[in-house]
Formats: sequence, structure tokens, C-alpha cells
Amino acid sequence: MYSDLLHALPNVVAFANFAALVIGVLAGIVVGAMPGLSATMAISVLVPFTFGLDPLVALGLMAGIYNGAMYGGAIPAVLLRIPGTPAAVATTFDGYPMAQKGEGGFALQVAVVSSSIGGIASAFALMLLAPPLSKVTLLFGPSEVFWVAVFGLCSIIFLLGGNPVKGLISACFGVFVSVVGSDPIFGTDRYTFGQLELLDGIHIVILLVGLYALPPVIDLLETPLKTDTSNSDKLGTEPIWRTLPRMLRFWKTWLRSAAIGIWIGILPGAGGSMAAFMSYNEARRTSKTPNTWGNGEPEGIAASETANNADTASALIPALTLGIPGTAVAAVMLGGLLVHGLQPGPMLFRDNPDIVFGFMWQFLFGAILLVFLGGSLATNSFAKLLKLPRPLLGSVIIVLMLIGVYSIHGPMFDVYLMLGFGAVGYLMDKLKFPLPPVVLGLILGSFAEENLRLALRIGRGDWSVLFANTTSQILVLMTVAVIVGPIIKRRYFNKSANGPDEKA
Amino acid sequence: MKRYLITVAVAAFASGAAVAQDYPAKPIEIIVGYSAGGGTDVMARTVGKFLEEALGGASVVVKNMPGAGGQIGFTEVAGAKPDGYTLGTFNLPAALALTYDRAADYDVSSYTYLANFVEDPNTIVVAASSEFETLEAFLEAAKADPGAITVGLSSLGGNDHFGANMMAAASGAEFTLVPFKGAAMARTALMGGHVAAGTMALSQTTSFQEELRVLAVLAEERSAFRPDVPTAKELGYDVQMSSLRGIVAPAGLDPEIAAKLRDALTAVNEMPAFQEMMAEQGNPIAFVAGDAFAEIAQAQNDVARSIWEETPWK
Repeated sequence: MYSDLLHALPNVVAFANFAALVIGVLAGIVVGAMPGLSATMAISVLVPFTFGLDPLVALGLMAGIYNGAMYGGAIPAVLLRIPGTPAAVATTFDGYPMAQKGEGGFALQVAVVSSSIGGIASAFALMLLAPPLSKVTLLFGPSEVFWVAVFGLCSIIFLLGGNPVKGLISACFGVFVSVVGSDPIFGTDRYTFGQLELLDGIHIVILLVGLYALPPVIDLLETPLKTDTSNSDKLGTEPIWRTLPRMLRFWKTWLRSAAIGIWIGILPGAGGSMAAFMSYNEARRTSKTPNTWGNGEPEGIAASETANNADTASALIPALTLGIPGTAVAAVMLGGLLVHGLQPGPMLFRDNPDIVFGFMWQFLFGAILLVFLGGSLATNSFAKLLKLPRPLLGSVIIVLMLIGVYSIHGPMFDVYLMLGFGAVGYLMDKLKFPLPPVVLGLILGSFAEENLRLALRIGRGDWSVLFANTTSQILVLMTVAVIVGPIIKRRYFNKSANGPDEKA
Repeated sequence: MKRYLITVAVAAFASGAAVAQDYPAKPIEIIVGYSAGGGTDVMARTVGKFLEEALGGASVVVKNMPGAGGQIGFTEVAGAKPDGYTLGTFNLPAALALTYDRAADYDVSSYTYLANFVEDPNTIVVAASSEFETLEAFLEAAKADPGAITVGLSSLGGNDHFGANMMAAASGAEFTLVPFKGAAMARTALMGGHVAAGTMALSQTTSFQEELRVLAVLAEERSAFRPDVPTAKELGYDVQMSSLRGIVAPAGLDPEIAAKLRDALTAVNEMPAFQEMMAEQGNPIAFVAGDAFAEIAQAQNDVARSIWEETPWK
């Protein structure tokens, strides 16, 4: 089972594939460092451009960007108290005070080492768990897949934190979009208005680009960012090999945060920022000196940054084995796989072992590269990135979006559709409706519908087929727990358990 | 007036002949109604590559116009100018089945049928772990409890579906049809034991010989790829269904250009390098050119229509 893993290795270190990874990590750090630009956005803009590329080159870019962006977010978080990505919010708590004390350099080094450790742990989790899981998922028939989809939808609505009603409305919008096109069984047209372009439904990449790339760009142009770069001038950078021994005392935090990040990643719905918050809170709770936290405790950065990188590869475990993405980023990556004709699911591991295992190696190497690329050499220059003129940046991204979406199929119709989704996304953003439920609603909604109908056909119309076996029953229980859990928690503990705004 | 007409006719004939002689004077486009990388696309690119050679250094470009189950591409070819510079891939029975279950801007008469290359027969297939060792045992079970046997299809209105319907009609068995999204999904469900059988094309089963047991091929003769598998006809059920992929042009193509293209495609088929490449891709070749191809299309059209009339699937 794991021999394929070794077999895929030589290909990954081939020049083009490795270069893609390096470029991806660098681009990811840049994107992550730009407040407002997230990994999801960068990858969704990238996906249409990867059509003509070798699959491993394309996937290497994506894996690199994902890993890089999760660390890149820490740069402005530390220097400016502006989280570059939503997952870096918890990094600001201790990162900024450290920068004020003139320890910004050390803070960034802790962030990069922790990010790297989180990423490595996550890549190992993916390598070890996905292959055996892919065998088991053959046993997932239509009724089980239906419940996985329902579970995913419920968890993204209820676990996201914030307002479940808004989450529900977002998810409903996504499910509605999934209904457009010919229905999965009979091929009856739904909401197509006679347009052949709509018969296949709305391409996920069109929705993603519109929803995830346009609102931040508008935001970028709307608010001129006043960058106080005084902290980046007094980084106090020492070579990373000299600071490393001072970090070794974080080993417990590293382990705990990596485990939290991996677990959150596997869970559908939650993402990097939830992992970062949970692990920050956990680390603070168990700390011997909780009162130094929030005033520049490097261990806080370690906790947050380890966790937000530890969910990267593990988020792909359900995506690659079941074809069900747990996070928006994983959904975009699935879009990238589909563009290359790689259908996620148990057959992927059999038909394209070199690609799927190569992809896992790329996650591992991407995480390792992070230390070298994001470490001592580049951190200084990345801080200067924040001085780039934002209108220039915004217009470049818009051009890339238009070209990218046009190149998926060719018709201008797709471009208009993307702009339409962009407008919707912008409004949702302003009204504080979460975006991930839309994406997962689109994907999981069609999964749920198709598999429900298939299951009922197999069961000849008898609904009990949905509860007929243990796997289904367990999934039903998990779904109920996800819905009821937060309600009970709120009632009995009455804590202000308001989670973070999820965006990554 | 009469003289004028004759002049016009002669001029038209002469110019037609001149056009045919010059053909091809510019790049030829083959429109594929599916995404790059799929079976039909790979066939179009392989044929295109060798067609360039057969036409004496012409340039052949493949253009993918995926969408609506191939309908966007089929419609584009039917509506193109019949000048020999727009050709298209044609999938039977899918292309014609589409004309029944939704509004389409073309029908069987919208094309000049040039040549069919691939014929991939459908099968009756079960998982290797299945209790059914023979077609007879399988059909007995389907007759004993009508509807209890689930059959996974790649979609409704395709050759999988028609094959299952024809098998049911020939044997008097009754199946519950479960249309998945594509052949790969149907195969995964079959291997996972979620449906009892499938009717997928033989090429879909070849790399899964350990996991799947093919009970019969729905073809006139045994397949060269699986000579060990009997035909349904041998077993007493004269059912034939397959997926065909060929090259067509819009209707009204100048007969001389059509003849030139047919000859070139026949020459392509005779090239050993082409045969080798197609075999490597697992494409069973059943080369049929011209009128014989048009007859097959007509026959497939009749099958689709009669199934649609008897048991409409939507």
C-alpha cells in the first residue's frame, strides 16, 4: 500500500515539479502576506491557468501556495497586527507585542519554524491515513456518501462559529447553485433557461473565483491601507540556526497544536483559523505562565502557526479519498484535480498513484522548503511587500481572474457568471455572511442529491435503505451531535463561544 | 434563360471540382464535444495526427467544445459550413439519443457520415465476489424477483442504458436501473457491492479483471481483447449494443470532398502505426466508412427512438 508512495518520489524531485513547488511556496508567502488575499483566492485564480501544465507541476504550485500562504499570513500579523490571512488572527495576539519590543525577527522565525513543523506533521498524516482510507471508501455506497455530505453541510453551518442562521442561508445559496443544470438522474433541465452552457451546471471554479477573488480585490481598492512599517525596520534578525535552540522548549506546544490542526483539517467545515484559535487557547490553558500570553509570548505564535499549517494536508484526506472536501481550499484543490481529469475517490489511488502520492510528497517538501525560503533570507524582503501600490495589485489580479475564467471553457458567458458571483460575494462579505458554506453547499449539495436519489433507486423507493447499515447509522449520529452539541454547550456553559470569522 | 442556367450549372460544377482539387487549402478543424483527455478526444487527436499524413501534409486541429453531454459539439458540427474544413467526432448512440430526450438542433440527417473507427461493445458484468457465475444464473435471479437486481449505468439515454433495456426485453427479466454520473462511478459502485451488475463497455472492464467478472459481451462476435468471454448471442440472447466513435462532417458536403476524406480516413485506418496506437489506448477498432456508417447511424437512431417511445427515461 505504501510502496506506491516511494515509487512516486523520483518524479517529485524532477526539476520542473520541484521548481513549481519552490515557486508555489514563494508565491504563497507573498499572497499570504498581503492582507485580504488568501490561499483560497490565489489557488482559485491559478487553477484555470494550470490546464496546459503537467498535473504534478500544477499540484506542486497549489501545495506550495497553500503551505506558503499559511505562514505568509503571519508576516503582517506580527509586524502590523493585520492578519494576512484569516488563519493568522491568533498570531497577532503575541506577534505584534513582540514586534513592538523589537523582537519581530524572532517572532517571524518562530512562526516559520512552527508553520513548517505543522505542515510536515500534516503531510505525514495525509501519507499515512489516506491510502488505507481509500480502500475503506469503496464500501461507501450512495447512502453512506449521502450522509457524509449531510454531515459536512451540518458541520460547516454549525461549527463555523458566528451565526448558524447566516451559515445556513449561505449553504442554501450554494445548494441552490448546485441545482442549476440537468438533474443527475434523468437529465431534466433545471434553471437553465434554454442555455446549453448551463446544462452541465455551474463550474465550481467560476463560483470560487467570483466569490473568493473579487470581493478581496474590491476591498483592496476600497481601503487604502496605511502601513506603519516602523516595526519592520527594527526586526532584530539573528540567523535562524542561532535562534533555533531557544525554540526547542515549545516541543509540547508543537505536538499538541499539530494534532489539533490535523484533526480540524480532517473534520469537514472547520478550517485553518479555527485550528489556530483552538490550539492557541489550549496552549495558553496548559501554560505555566498564562499571564505572559498576549504580551509577546513566542509560544503563542508557535501554537497558532503550527495549527494553521497542520490543517493543510489533512484537509485533503476526505477530499482525496471520498471526493468530499472539508474546507474551501480543499474544494479549490479538488477543482484543480478535476481540471486534469483526476476524479477524486478510491479509484484515484489506483489509477494515478504517481500523481496522488507525488502530491503528498509535495506537501511534505513544501513544508520543509518553508523554513529555507521563508526563514532568514526572505522575511525581510517580504515585509517590504506591504508597500506595493494596492491599485496595481488589484488590477493585475482582476486581469488574471478574467483570463483564467475565460480559459476554462471559452464562452464569455462564464466570465459574466463569475462577475455575478463576485457581486454576490461582495454583498455577502459586507453583510457578514460566511463564504465557505456556499462553496461546500455547491459541492456537497449535488453530492447529497445525487446519492440520495441513487440510494432510493437501489432501495426501490424504500427510505429505510438510508439507515440500513452501521456506517450510515454512525454518520447519522455524528450529524446529530454536530447540530445538538453547540446548542447544549451554549445552554449549559453559557460562555461566549463566538468563534472566529472563517475565511481561509 | 436556359443557356444561362446551363452556364451557371457548369460554372458551379467546375468551381466545385476546383474546390475539391484544391482541398485542403487551409487547416481542418475536428470538433470534439468532450473535454481534452477523454476517450473521444484521444481518438480525435490520434486520427487527426495520421489524417495530416494521409492528406499529404494538411494541418488538422482538434477543438474541444465540451458540455451538455457532447450536445454543444454535435450542434456546432451540424450547423457548420459543409466545406470540409469543419469535421466532428460522433458518438453513437449518445449523439442521437440526445435528440429524443431534449430539444436538439440536429438529427440523424444533419451529417455526412465519413468513417467510424471505434466500436466498444457493452457487457453484462458483475463483481468478482458476486454469486452469479453465469449469465443464465444472473437472468434467473432477475426473473425470480423482478426488480431486485440493480444494474449500474453510466447514465440514462446511453449505450449502457439501452444495453440493459434490450437485455431485459430479450430475456424477460426485470432490472432496477441505477444511473450513476459516468462509467467510473458506476464501476466503483459495482466493485463496492452497491449494485448487483453493470452493463458498461468492455474497455471499461479490461484493467479490472481481478475485481470484475464479465458474464457476456453484447456483440456479434467475441472481442479480441477478451476472447474468453462469450457473447450474449452464443448464450441464446441476440442482443447487441455498443458505443461507437467516428468522424462526421455537416450534411451537404461536396461529394468529391467527402470521397477524398473517406479515402484519407481509410488510408489512416490501414496505417500500422495508427492501429498500434489505437490498440495501446485500448480502443477496439471496427472501421466502417461511408454509406455503411450512415446505415449504422440510422439503425442506432431507430433503437434509441423505439426505446424512448416504449420506456421514456425522463
